[in-house]
Amino acid sequence: MSGEQLHIVTNDSITEARRRLGLGLIWGSAAVLAGTAAMQVIQARGSADFGFSNWRPTLYAYVFWAICLCVAQVVVRGEQGKRTLFVLPAALFVISLTVFPLLFGLIIAFSSWNLSSPTGREFNGFDNIRQMWGDPFYWNALGNMIWYVLAIIAEYAIAFGLALLLSGQIRARKFFRVAFLLPLMLSPVAVSWMIGKSMLEARFGPLSRLARAIGIDNPSFFESAWMAKTTIMVLDAWTFIPFMMIMLLAGLQAIPKELQEASRVDGATGWKAFWEITFPLMLPVSITAVMIRIIFKLKLADVVINTTAGGPGGATDTVTSFIFREYRDRSNVGYGTMLAMVYLVLIVIFMTVLMKWAAKYARPQT
Amino acid sequence: MKVDLYNYASQLSRRRFLKGATALGAVATLPAGLAPRMARAQDDIRAQILAIPGVGAGSPTDADWQAVGELCLGATKTNVAEGEFAGVELTFMGLNNQNLHNFLFRGFLKPWEAYTGAKINWIDLAQADYNARLQQSIATGTVDFDIIEMGAPFEGDTAGSGLLDEMPDWVATQIEADDLVGYLKPPVGTWNGKTYRVTIDGDCHTFSYRKDYFGEGAIGGAEVPKTWQQVNAVSKALVGQTDPLTGLPAHGYLDPLKGWGGFGFYFIENRAAAYVKHPSDPAWLFDPDTMKPRVNNPGWVQAIQDVMDLIAANAYPADQINADPGTTAFSQFLAGTGSMLMWWGDVGSNARTSDSSVVGDVVGFGINPGSDRVYNATAGAWEDTYNEAPNMAYIGWGVYVTSNVSGDEKKRKAAWSAAAHLGGKDLSLWTSAYPSGFQPYRQSHFNYDEWEAAGYDRAFVEDYLGSNLDSYNHPNAAIEPRIPGIFQYYSVAEDELSKGFAGQYKSAQETADAIAAAWEKITDQIGRDSQIALYKASLGM
Repeated sequence: MSGEQLHIVTNDSITEARRRLGLGLIWGSAAVLAGTAAMQVIQARGSADFGFSNWRPTLYAYVFWAICLCVAQVVVRGEQGKRTLFVLPAALFVISLTVFPLLFGLIIAFSSWNLSSPTGREFNGFDNIRQMWGDPFYWNALGNMIWYVLAIIAEYAIAFGLALLLSGQIRARKFFRVAFLLPLMLSPVAVSWMIGKSMLEARFGPLSRLARAIGIDNPSFFESAWMAKTTIMVLDAWTFIPFMMIMLLAGLQAIPKELQEASRVDGATGWKAFWEITFPLMLPVSITAVMIRIIFKLKLADVVINTTAGGPGGATDTVTSFIFREYRDRSNVGYGTMLAMVYLVLIVIFMTVLMKWAAKYARPQT
Repeated sequence: MKVDLYNYASQLSRRRFLKGATALGAVATLPAGLAPRMARAQDDIRAQILAIPGVGAGSPTDADWQAVGELCLGATKTNVAEGEFAGVELTFMGLNNQNLHNFLFRGFLKPWEAYTGAKINWIDLAQADYNARLQQSIATGTVDFDIIEMGAPFEGDTAGSGLLDEMPDWVATQIEADDLVGYLKPPVGTWNGKTYRVTIDGDCHTFSYRKDYFGEGAIGGAEVPKTWQQVNAVSKALVGQTDPLTGLPAHGYLDPLKGWGGFGFYFIENRAAAYVKHPSDPAWLFDPDTMKPRVNNPGWVQAIQDVMDLIAANAYPADQINADPGTTAFSQFLAGTGSMLMWWGDVGSNARTSDSSVVGDVVGFGINPGSDRVYNATAGAWEDTYNEAPNMAYIGWGVYVTSNVSGDEKKRKAAWSAAAHLGGKDLSLWTSAYPSGFQPYRQSHFNYDEWEAAGYDRAFVEDYLGSNLDSYNHPNAAIEPRIPGIFQYYSVAEDELSKGFAGQYKSAQETADAIAAAWEKITDQIGRDSQIALYKASLGM
């Protein structure tokens, strides 16, 4: 008995006729799917009219093919096919919800599709790429993203400090843990309105009043380009530092106490113990926290849209807030999709390089 | 009527309200022979509906809307037999802002449904979702509504795409379309000579100013500025002075320097209209023969330069670069910052009803300031003549019927009958006078005697609505081009203006050139030839 058959409870004997039936199911349903799709494409191009009023027949044909494919696994391969059935429907479902939309997204990205255009969507090759290449708003937004991402260094330092504080034996530790987490529970939209638009309001905002009280004339948190960018960074940091803090806190609590006690016995001071013991041990958690934070940061939009709308003069614009304007305000679906696709590719490349680079540091130092 | 305007205008003493109610009751109890005969039955209906629920008697309810709809059914009955639309189902897409719009339409149309036998299904949309929903329906060919509440700026997107049904002549007669104020008459509501719109609202920007800034010995000078040149001069002269009301630094005109999803462009238009809307030319944003943008001609550049001058003079409040139109109106002007503002109807009413307003007793109204000179785009030269051009920003809501019903005459008649009912002359008086989300838009709405008889404060109504009336009927009103994607043009202009105001362009001309270049791209993408044709159609050329 071969190793492969160890877990098989029934001994299948697949007849040739049964095998042919299974293959027929697969190829027959595939033919139905291809035929239906072809007819719909022909009708959409105006070459013939098959009476379709929408694209649902192709969807139904796809579902039919998927069911046949699953059934055929058992028909053709018996018990082995049942094993496949544990995975195949889920795989098909995932493909349906990710790969197909991605493909459709690519088709749209290489199209000129302004919803107000009477001609509808038209394939335009690399025109959107060319337009993007010469679009100062997009490059400006990408440049801003670099600064926003760099701000994570400061966020990390603060989060680490807070995590160290909360992992120590301080009074009201539980209270502070909850209190420091509160900003993370707030919606960024609420943060942008409550703090960005209200507390920081130049005339009546309490923080503006405080600034005036300490002698700053005409305080304004969004007037100059760098002040506005910094304020957005602070608002975003205030919301998400607790996220990094809680991850780092969990990491700190997982460090074996013996290591720290041993370092103390060996005479390590507080700073030396942190730098030589705690920090290296925390690197895997730190890198994970920073990378997740970078992913969050690259999606930054809500605070910007609500507080500055990208201004002044694009100083606070993010790629996502710019794409939002292209989509929502200008109905420029093709170009907006291309911008999003390019951004996705840039993120994938950036994160891949970052993960490769981080991999060697993420391993526990021994 | 906008809600806030109603709240203010209906601030009457109990005694006055009771006096009116008593008079109405006395008339009702008189024997038929002794009751004074009304000159016309219609006048009687108008008085009756204005008494529902009664000025000062609280906000109207669904029962009130139904009662008004019932009383205004007379016009429908002349064109439709009872039960004529039995079995007809219509879908109506509209807004649900402030629980108005569709909420009122439901009540108004309930008696209409009962009389005609038709049934209406409703699609309610938030304002923010409206444009996206409409554009997606058009782009994907999924127009799933038979009647739509829509602003005139979208006529290019819909009528221009052949999605609307032409209004039958009997509807124009039923709604007494001749009664519309001047600027809402064709070409507004028409496309290629065909009429598609039953108007139910009017819109324009009017000038609000602080009376305490102007007059003998006042810090802003003896006279209220009448031109943009004067507005800028006063704004600069106010730098360093103290606001007479708040004791904080005084400021002049409040330009919103931040975008507002495209709507912010209306505010640079206010300045530019006086410079570029030449009385001899209906076009002022594009050249109608080529769609070449006029936004970088000397008139528009002057408007942008005016704003840049005030930035350079430090004439704006702190952080003005982040002030969108909503901020200038509600956080600044009403709160006592600044002395001059352009805005829709809300500011005047909020000035006296909003808890956060401190300017209620010192606010005055007028039309859009003019200019000492006007740029003639056709001649390519400035003319040193006084020019004024009120900005009819957004033009107002209308009810349209889609071509979904064009193939079914019974359904088509039903849809138009419903639209005509909502845009009826008498019913519109009620929507003007009570909270509805709509402003007055007919000549007959400005019969102040009717308002006073209904119990309104005449002085306020005359002052406030007078500025609207003067704008509506102005012979050189700047009418918005109703072309597809108009808000795309506005949106991208906001982005470029933001850069210009932040000093990222060297000059007003460079800023305007950047807007023009972006507009050319949009025109090319949407289709230049079709845009030219549609622009001309929207201008009635």
